[in-house]
Formats: sequence, C-alpha cells, structure tokens
Amino acid sequence: MQTLKRNILAVPILVWIGLLVGIPLIFVFVLSFLSRDSLGTIVFQFTLQNYQRVFSPIYLRVFLNSLLLAFLTGLVTMIVGYPVAYITANLSTKKRALSIGLIMLPFWISSLLRTYGWMILLGNSGIVNNVFLGLGLIDRPLSMMYKFGTTLIGTAYMLIPFMIVAIFNSVDKLDRSLLEASYDLGANKRQTFFNITLPLTIPGVAGGFTLVFIPALGMFYVSDLLGGGNTIFLGNLINTQVTRGRNRPLAAAFSVAMILVVLVVISVYSRVAKDDREGLFL
Amino acid sequence: MRQPLLFLVNINKYFGDVHVLRDVSFTIEQGEFLTLLGPSGCGKTTLLRCIAGLEHVHSGDILLNGSSIKGIAPNKRNVNTVFQNYALFPHLNVYDNIAYGPRVKKLMKEAELKDRVSKVLDLVQMLGYEKRMPHQLSGGQRQRIAIARALINEPSILLLDEPLGALDLKLRKHMQTELAQLQRKTGTTFVYVTHDQEEALNMSDRIVVMDQGQVQQLGSPREIYNNPSNLFVTTFIGDRNMIRVKVLDVGEASTRVQFGEDVVEVRNSKRHHMVAGEEALLAIHMDKMRVSCGEVPNALRGEVLSVHYAGSQIRIQIQVADKVITAVEYQKTDCDCEAGDSVYVVWEEHGAILLPLEDSGVEGEV
Repeated sequence: MQTLKRNILAVPILVWIGLLVGIPLIFVFVLSFLSRDSLGTIVFQFTLQNYQRVFSPIYLRVFLNSLLLAFLTGLVTMIVGYPVAYITANLSTKKRALSIGLIMLPFWISSLLRTYGWMILLGNSGIVNNVFLGLGLIDRPLSMMYKFGTTLIGTAYMLIPFMIVAIFNSVDKLDRSLLEASYDLGANKRQTFFNITLPLTIPGVAGGFTLVFIPALGMFYVSDLLGGGNTIFLGNLINTQVTRGRNRPLAAAFSVAMILVVLVVISVYSRVAKDDREGLFL
Repeated sequence: MRQPLLFLVNINKYFGDVHVLRDVSFTIEQGEFLTLLGPSGCGKTTLLRCIAGLEHVHSGDILLNGSSIKGIAPNKRNVNTVFQNYALFPHLNVYDNIAYGPRVKKLMKEAELKDRVSKVLDLVQMLGYEKRMPHQLSGGQRQRIAIARALINEPSILLLDEPLGALDLKLRKHMQTELAQLQRKTGTTFVYVTHDQEEALNMSDRIVVMDQGQVQQLGSPREIYNNPSNLFVTTFIGDRNMIRVKVLDVGEASTRVQFGEDVVEVRNSKRHHMVAGEEALLAIHMDKMRVSCGEVPNALRGEVLSVHYAGSQIRIQIQVADKVITAVEYQKTDCDCEAGDSVYVVWEEHGAILLPLEDSGVEGEV
C-alpha cells in the first residue's frame, strides 16, 4: 500500500520525463535504423548502413576532433575557473554574490551574439589587432580567426560558468575546521591547499568537467563562426546532415553515438565522485 | 608546586561591536588539566582559539614558556587542538591523518614516523585501525584518532574544544575517565573547554569559570563547588536552592540568619562578609540536603509538597514559609515522608553558603 502510494506520486514526473526526454530519444534511436530516399524523405526500411558510416575511418577523425576539443575545453575552463571559484568562495557574503552575479551575467545575452562579439575582438581588423598595431607591437594583423584554438576559446568562454559554479560549490561546502586543523598541525597555506583543499574539491572539479565536456562535444555554432568550418566536429556534422545533407537517419546515428560517448563520460564522473553524496546526477 | 607554562595577560577580543573577551588574565601551569567552563557564548571557545592562534587578540598578550606567541601563526605554535567535530581529514586514512603533522613539518623519516604513529595509536588504544577511513569509525573512535593526531606533535599544550559533546551519555562518561588517565600518562598540559559542569568537576585539576567574556572564578573543583566566588558561579555550578534571608548576627565561624520563623546558623565564607541587619542570599546545594521527620537542630521547618523517584535519586519538594525548596537524596533513610507531612530540612555544612544580595537581577531570580 505504501509503495503503491509512493509510485502514484511519482507518476507526474515520470510522464514529464517520458514526454520530454524519453519519446524524443526513442524517436532518434528508431530513426537511426531507417533509410531515406534521394530527396531526404524517411523510408521505413530497417538498415544498419547508417552505423556502418558512423564507424567508418573518415568520420573517426571527426570523433577525435570533438573529443579533443571537449577535453581541452574542460582543461582550460578548469585551469582558469579554479582560481576564480576558489577566490569567490572565500569572499565576504556581499562580494561573493556580486562575483557570482558577474559570472552569470553573460547568460542574459544570446550566446550567438557573444560569439559574434569574439569575432569582433579577434578578427583581422578586430579590436585586439588594432590595439596591438596601434601600440606598434606587431607590423601586420595577427591571423587569429578560423583556427582550432579560436573554437577552443569560444567553447571555453561559453561553458566556463558551469565549471566555476561547480567548483565554487565544492569549495564553499568545504568544512573550514579542516583547514584550521591543517594549520594547527603545522601546515602552511600552500601545504594546506595541496593536501586538503584540492583533494577535497576534486568531486566539484569532476562535476564541472562533465558539465563542460558534454555540451562542448555537441556545440556547432561556435566552431562554425569562430572556426570557420575548418575543423569538422560532431555537432557540425550532425547539423550539416540534418540541413544540407538531408540525411536525418545518419544524423540520428551520429547522435546515438554521441550519447554513448556522453554516457561513458558520466560513468567515469560518477566513479570519481562516488564519495561525494551530492553528485550532479544523483 | 607546578611551573607556570602559559600566561594570559589582559586579553581583549571583539567580534564587531561585541566584546567577547574582557581583560582575561590567568596562568596555565605545566602538566595540569585545566578546564574552561561556562555557558554557551561566554567566550571560552574563543579564548581557546586565541591560544591556538586561530583568532587574533585585540589587546593583551599570550606568553608561552616566557615568550610572546601573540603574533605567531597557528602552524608555528607548539600547541595543538582537538576540534569539536574532530575535523579528521575525510580523504585520508587513520595513519595519514595522524602522520599529517610530522609530515608537513618534515620532521622525520617514514620509518621513524611509523613507530611514532604506532606509539600514539597504542596510547589511545586504537592500534590496528591504521587503514580505516574516518567515515568507517564511530564517534568515540574518531575522538581518539583526533587526540592521537594532536599528541603525535608533542605539543606544549593540548587544547580540547568540547570534544565529548557529540557522544552519547554512556560513552561520554567512559571517555571522561579515559581522557583524565591519558592526561596523567602523557603529562601533557590539557586545556579543556566544556559547558558541562559535571565533566569539568570530574576531570580537572583546576577550573576557570567564565561568563560574558570574563573570568568569574579560578580554582580547584572542590573550591568552585563549595566556595563559589559570586552569584553567577553559585547559580551555575550545581543545583542550589536560593533563599533570601535576614542576617541576625555575624560570629567568628558562622552567621545566624532568619528565614520565615526559623533561625539557622551558616558557616562563614572566606570571601563574603555579612552585615547584621541586612538581607543576604542563602544558597544550598540540593544534593547536600537531608529531610528529617523528627525535630533536629539548625533546620528549616516545612511541609512536603511532592516526592519524585527519578532513578537513583529522590527529589522532594518542600514548602518552607513562602518558598518551595527542593532536596535531592540518593537513598531514603530515616524519614519516609509523603506529600502533606511536616518535616525538618537540614544540610551538610559545606553545602551552604551566604552571599550578599547583589544588585544585578537578584530580585527576579530569588
């Protein structure tokens, strides 16, 4: 009786998840096994051809590009985000609210607009080049656009708030008396940071890494605009297959493959954060 | 006579506008078990943290072994703390927790360190637990590891901040005995913070009673219990009946006072001098009182209101004149009284003390 009651209470959330997550996922999964005609219309005919193409060597490169971009994005946001999160967590309540507000502020502006902002900054006649030219530091404009690194800057910039907030939470949660105990036992600030603070905030870093890695894997407009399409990533590929390629079944197969990669990342994360009772996905 | 080890000289400390330590001065002696006792918010933990270096003092000085440690960072002070929640490092096992101090100070080789860890683990009876993680230990075990982690540094003073607060009653009693034994075995100076007077009276060589950031009394447990220096200590230590009496005349060793129609003699205290004709407070420990059925000298007459059996003790409420007095007896002997009986209430000489009527809020309390 008790369990029945509890199960009934869970029905709305199950319906919600089923409608918004489950059904689209099933749709994508089914689609990935279907064929299409030359005009792009779906043909209800079972095939494994899409998956054969997904795992062909030509596309392996795309997977590796995407994984590298996502990994480097995670790394860059971690290195830049950790100090920001650490300092923010140690501010007074008022300043801390201000700092968090400033970190979240860019979310109020469309990410597409912010990407154009980077183009204005980094372009050949962009602000950075103009300033450097004006100061006489360089003779001709630096070519900064349409490179792998440019895409990396873009994705890292887009996703760093997730990293900062995740690390901030774990630094903030840290029991101050542990730090005091460390000083009390004779450790200086540096030793306390590396022996106590850093190891105890690893779950937060892992959480931030996961939160950054997953969207970085699928982002396409940043690499389209900042990378100029010179390097093809998974997101671009799926986008192209749906729009210009008119091959939705293939796009669906790539999506399923990407979901599998994401599941691997999450399982690694949950292993790292298994001692942390307030995980991201539990 | 013990050697003085740590001098606290006119310590003042503020949190914002709040004056949390007011001119605190006393001396901690080498090898003693000293307890800072007081209600929550009295400044005892803050004082402990000042000694540890975790709080800085606004004025005054702290001298350890003759030299000031006021400006010295906590990691450079030869004092260690056992924190209230133990503060064991959750990601390190018992061995690494205990080895933390010597390792960060790079004091010794791993082989020597291993011996030292074993030695302190043996001291707290936790040998064999080296590989356990803190979350795999019970509260009492964590407590022992926290003590071992501090003791391995051979501190001049071990500071303990309400270390038994999180334990259940039975374990707390057991740990009290163990802590006192450990202190004697190691000879380390213990400064122990608690709000639990029973703990303080049980374990300490000396007790510092604090209230509102000030030292109220410093003395041995017996001294504090029997000869409280002021109204605060009198009400804070032990359960007492507080009776407003009239001083009739003051003799060499005792003073005659009147309450209602009864006249009783109370021993004179060293600290307080009564004046005949004035009013005073008679404070008597409830557990030092006896109820007698037959007439006895130096007693207050009253009528039994109720008798409660609370485990090992019997609480008897007696109406004496306009006041309800509580007597606590541990076994019923001569007088098997019931509600409505007329009885005589007497007390052991040392259980009673006369205090002057202080102006601070006494009217309301008595």
